[in-house]
Amino acid sequence: MISEKSFLKRLGSQLFFTGPTILLFAIAVLVPFVYGLYLTFTNMSSPLSPLEFAGLSNYRTAFADSRFWDSLILTVKFVVATVILINILGFVLAYLVTSGVKLQNFFRTSLFTPNLIGGLVLGYIWQFIFVQTLPSIGEKLGIEWLRLGWLGDEHLAFWAIVIVSIWQSAGYMMIIFVAGLVNVPKDVMEAATIDGANGWHKLRKVTLPLMVPSFVVTVFLTLKNAFMVYDINYSLTGGGPYDSTTMVSMQVVKKAFIENNYGVGQAEAFILFAIVALITGLQVYFSKKMEVAA
Amino acid sequence: MKKTIGLFLASMMVISLTACGSSKNEGSNTAANGKVSIIITNGKGEIASQWEQAAKDFMAANPDITVEAVSGAVGETINLVDKLTASGKTVTMAMMSPDSITNKYKDFGIDLSAEKWNEETVYGVKDANGVIAGFPFSIEGFGLVYNKKVVEKAVGGDFDPFSINTRDKLKELLDKIQVSGVKYPVAYQTENWSVANHYSTQFINQAEDPNTIVDQLKAGTLDLASNDVWNGYYDTLDLLVSAQYNKYGERPLGKYYDDAHVSVGKGESALLFNGNWAYDSLQAVSGEEFGFLPVPVDNNPDNPLNNKIAAGPTNVLVINNAATVEQQEAAKKFLDWLVYDQKGQDFLVNQAQIISAFKNNSNKVTNPLGAAIAEAVQADKTLPFSSNFVKVEDWGSILAPDIQKYIAQKESRAELAKVIEAYYKGQN
Repeated sequence: MISEKSFLKRLGSQLFFTGPTILLFAIAVLVPFVYGLYLTFTNMSSPLSPLEFAGLSNYRTAFADSRFWDSLILTVKFVVATVILINILGFVLAYLVTSGVKLQNFFRTSLFTPNLIGGLVLGYIWQFIFVQTLPSIGEKLGIEWLRLGWLGDEHLAFWAIVIVSIWQSAGYMMIIFVAGLVNVPKDVMEAATIDGANGWHKLRKVTLPLMVPSFVVTVFLTLKNAFMVYDINYSLTGGGPYDSTTMVSMQVVKKAFIENNYGVGQAEAFILFAIVALITGLQVYFSKKMEVAA
Repeated sequence: MKKTIGLFLASMMVISLTACGSSKNEGSNTAANGKVSIIITNGKGEIASQWEQAAKDFMAANPDITVEAVSGAVGETINLVDKLTASGKTVTMAMMSPDSITNKYKDFGIDLSAEKWNEETVYGVKDANGVIAGFPFSIEGFGLVYNKKVVEKAVGGDFDPFSINTRDKLKELLDKIQVSGVKYPVAYQTENWSVANHYSTQFINQAEDPNTIVDQLKAGTLDLASNDVWNGYYDTLDLLVSAQYNKYGERPLGKYYDDAHVSVGKGESALLFNGNWAYDSLQAVSGEEFGFLPVPVDNNPDNPLNNKIAAGPTNVLVINNAATVEQQEAAKKFLDWLVYDQKGQDFLVNQAQIISAFKNNSNKVTNPLGAAIAEAVQADKTLPFSSNFVKVEDWGSILAPDIQKYIAQKESRAELAKVIEAYYKGQN
């Protein structure tokens, strides 16, 4: 039917439906993106000063900025730790709350709740826990590794961010896994049982392969969230002690808005964008190939 | 049912489309009917409501001027101007930190040195060209904040903070406090802005004009490692953060701001290093009294650095040279109103609880730390507010990690000296 209409008419009716969305998407994403790319080729000490064309010098400075690469390496460590731990924990929780334990709906809700609290608030709550609650517990019970605040030690502060991130995201991933688990066809499971597969075999050979679509989504989300982490980093450690927990987003913000080096900060943001786009793109491409049909 | 949903979605679409189209005609701030409208920004988020009320009071007295008073969130001083400028508005008068008119916004302001209010203050802030461009909006100061009750109990009677004018006397005081039953006399959190922007810049006060030290650093002629004053402040810092005296000595740097202020506020510890703004965090706990000790740098009781408290303008108002002449005149009127009008004076000191830089303002702040600074200003016991002579953003972000590494004993003092020298050489 559509093919009968002229090209212009088709375009018109397509624009009628998608136009508003395209317009909003362009205003909110495309235009700032292109303008941002343009800014990386200019020098600007403040938004008040005129733009000067700077060629690739911002990128050269960014590539030579050792703090940027240090923070990127730290972020990669953070990504590895959180992606693995959040997905394992989320899956285990999902498995437990679909296995028919009592009050499983209550558990689903309460495990999801941390995700409803904003990262900033969460960071400040946990800051209180790490600075005041845990040390006073450590003092009272004589537990040496809890006696001093965790946020003052560079390694423990890193793990503090990991713990809070897990606490925030595991429940959300659990919901996605729950949706995947309840969609595993009963007949396949029954067939496996009749064939004599035990629980572990059923999990490994039937459930997990059928759950790949869920993992594609959760790994993508956790990867992206971990690379872009800022709010928890900001409110929990603020990058400290002595800049040892400054993740890459915070480094970009520091460069651009605190040290007033907009061009270099923007260039670093683009390098980060390219890395994250590449990694998540590869992840989705390859894990899509692992999907199987029931 | 389906129909209503469809209708709802369609109306949402229409609303979102019209929302894009509206909001024109904003920001046109020229006089249409003989009225001038100006935008004034306030970087001190904590006085947002008072700032708005001040604008209303000013407009009541000057019906031909419309003032749009904008306030930033607590802690964001400068981005407000950037934001408004980026959105196409002309900020007529902006509040900013004094160091930004010599650095980031060095071409922003107009010359205010011919204004009458200069007769009432010595704190007008000069820009990079040496002319006064900053109206001193607030005076603030820092030093060792102490809890009066705890210290008086330890020394057994009245206590004069200016009697602690050598490092040995400070140590003696800390020992006395410990003997009186306080396990950790100091609860200093060594946060980046505090230990870098404030504590570590104090050494530039060794010259009458701190700019000469900054110039020497830029020229590379000042050797910090052999500079007595620079070393002296870190000797005192070593004392303040030592595990013997500091609550956080075993593991400094761990986000202890609230805990430190609660400890001193409750009297569980006696002192910390901070400024008059700390009162809100202390006061939240109890109604105890507080004051300032100078930070001793050596054992010479006659050294002025040991007998004075750093205080100076921390927020200045700057008039935009891109605004129209009428707007600039209106903004100048607002400044005069702050200095000379009774309502303006009342707003500044009584409502906003700001220490006035102007001699003719006889109001007194009720905050005891502010009052202590005001008294020091009156008694001429102040040093320049050393942070005003450095780029605070750089100190808080680039140099602070090294200073904190020094505190955590991951870096030697000689290495720290090299880092600071290298930073300044890169500033040329």
